Amino acid sequence: MDTFYDAATRVRNKPILKWKEEGRSVVGYTCSYVPAEIFHAADILPIRLRGIETDGMDIGDTYYGPFICSFPKCILQLAGKGMFDFLDGAVITPGCDAMRRLDECWRKAGEDYEGILPSYFYYFDVPHKTEPHGMQWFVKEIRNLIDSVERHFDVRITDEKLKTAIRAYNQGRKLLQTVEDLRSQAEIKVSGTDVFAATVASTVMPRGEFTADLEKWIQSIKQNKPLKNGQKRLMLVGSISDEIDLVELVEKDNHAVVVAENLCFGARYESNQIPENGNPVQALAEHYLGKSVCPRMYGKYKERLGFLKDKIECAGVDGVIMQNIRFCDLHGAENALFERDLEAMGIPCLRIEREYGPLIETGRIKLRINAFLERIS
Amino acid sequence: MSIVAGCDVGSLTSKAVVMKNEKIVGSHIIKSKPRPQDSADAAMAGALSAAGAGPDDIEYCIGTGYGRDKILFVKEARSEISCHGKGARWLLPSVQTVIDIGGQDCKAMKIDGDGNVTRFLANDKCASGTGRFLEVMAKVLNIDIDAMGRFSAKARSPVTLAATCTVWAQADVIKYINSGVALEDIGAGINTAMAQRVAMLVNAVRPEGDILMTGGVAKNVGVVSTLEKLLGRKIKKTRKADPQMAGAIGAALLSMEQLNGNGRKDT
Repeated sequence: MDTFYDAATRVRNKPILKWKEEGRSVVGYTCSYVPAEIFHAADILPIRLRGIETDGMDIGDTYYGPFICSFPKCILQLAGKGMFDFLDGAVITPGCDAMRRLDECWRKAGEDYEGILPSYFYYFDVPHKTEPHGMQWFVKEIRNLIDSVERHFDVRITDEKLKTAIRAYNQGRKLLQTVEDLRSQAEIKVSGTDVFAATVASTVMPRGEFTADLEKWIQSIKQNKPLKNGQKRLMLVGSISDEIDLVELVEKDNHAVVVAENLCFGARYESNQIPENGNPVQALAEHYLGKSVCPRMYGKYKERLGFLKDKIECAGVDGVIMQNIRFCDLHGAENALFERDLEAMGIPCLRIEREYGPLIETGRIKLRINAFLERIS
Repeated sequence: MSIVAGCDVGSLTSKAVVMKNEKIVGSHIIKSKPRPQDSADAAMAGALSAAGAGPDDIEYCIGTGYGRDKILFVKEARSEISCHGKGARWLLPSVQTVIDIGGQDCKAMKIDGDGNVTRFLANDKCASGTGRFLEVMAKVLNIDIDAMGRFSAKARSPVTLAATCTVWAQADVIKYINSGVALEDIGAGINTAMAQRVAMLVNAVRPEGDILMTGGVAKNVGVVSTLEKLLGRKIKKTRKADPQMAGAIGAALLSMEQLNGNGRKDT
């Protein structure tokens, strides 16, 4: 578990530094739509770019302005401060408009701050629809990304290597789904904070190392004594979050345990295995675009609501905490719809607006969580 | 019969209430000190003195407010949202919608017949719509905060404060003062700006039934009357106790429930 916490709470964590010491490349990416398998197949460590450990916003604010989501601003801030100097490459995606702008803001900041722009800096486009033309476009985007990685890093990403990578990632997905099953049982043996730490760690650790550690951890969870009875079972959803502190804050005082979440860094699509035979590029596209139901995708609200309902039923959720980072239009708007529809089904909901980053609003958020727990007690 | 207490350590004021048989036998309010424990001690000492009781007479005490987790003498802490709901129900049994404007934030909540909160929203943006907003503006106008409430009735042409941000609104107020605008018109504009922020929040919870305001701003007649116009509904008044004490009253009532075994089971 210590490895997971180290990986989840530090930008320059041990697995990444060790990988670099071995002279191997690391590429950061911003969104769950990027098939990490491509980099794994090229023996490059793919890591999700994160904004934790930010202690100011002077650089982020300069290039972005103040009225925009603080998550990509924190990434830019860290880049400007040289915290990502270990990166050999970065892939930016239009997860949302604020994230898309990271491409131009980072490039511009790179003109002013020497050495902060990785030598490989790539914009990976992602359609908003899964209709046939959208899927064809995404397949082409994946092929372009593969070509680009091959050229820049002088590697060869064959179909066989991709299939091997898919198998490695499927193994991790399968194990994370096992954790999801364990946390949703009536008798809870693992805290939401620990599960989230493991899930976030999965986005920055070498896959083989992560899978081996996860396997051992699952065995230890099974030996755990059940958590205290009577805790409220909560679900955490909303804007992008890789902040272990946030889950910890919800679970503080032992009045609640997070038994499910639907967060960009969390376990969402782990029950979906990518076909290991056939055309690997097509299979990656079908999974990463076709199976995604995050609010950036058009016309998928009912699917997303159904996804939440299934998780709520499966994990026996007592209440849902919906957080959105300020100026996050996607989740801010959708949380209001979720609240309307879930409350109508008798599922209590709490909406919180907050800033991303070191928990600067702990008192305010804790008050709302406390009041919510009192409401559903 | 048991004596119970509630202590509400807020960002601007701290309140303590001692109750017996669901009646207030002592209460006290002070301006909050830098350390929550000091505020709680002083407020409770005043309430106990008014009740003619000592600390050992209190059988159960719940703390609330922003300093709730730092009060050593309470048995447990509860959110002020739950406490204000409970307190509002005691102040006005028919109430279904509660607006609590505290020093640091503003909440709108709906409660059931037992004073339990069924839905709530709290301001997430900034200090506008809070007691702090009024305090800052009263300081700029160099008037007593209570006097500001009366300005709405006296104003001839209230000014408009367009800025949501307290700091920008303060700059606007200074501009109006320097331009020679009557203080009443500026004060009325401040009350209206405050009421507009609060009205948005209240409408978002879809108010039903009788509405009651709690917290210090409930005593600002200018904000209350403007809010009534904006909501298109009357806000009920209560003479049973000071609405600013609602959080402490609610905490004392929850203490009573705990003592009688009717309260929340500790999880």
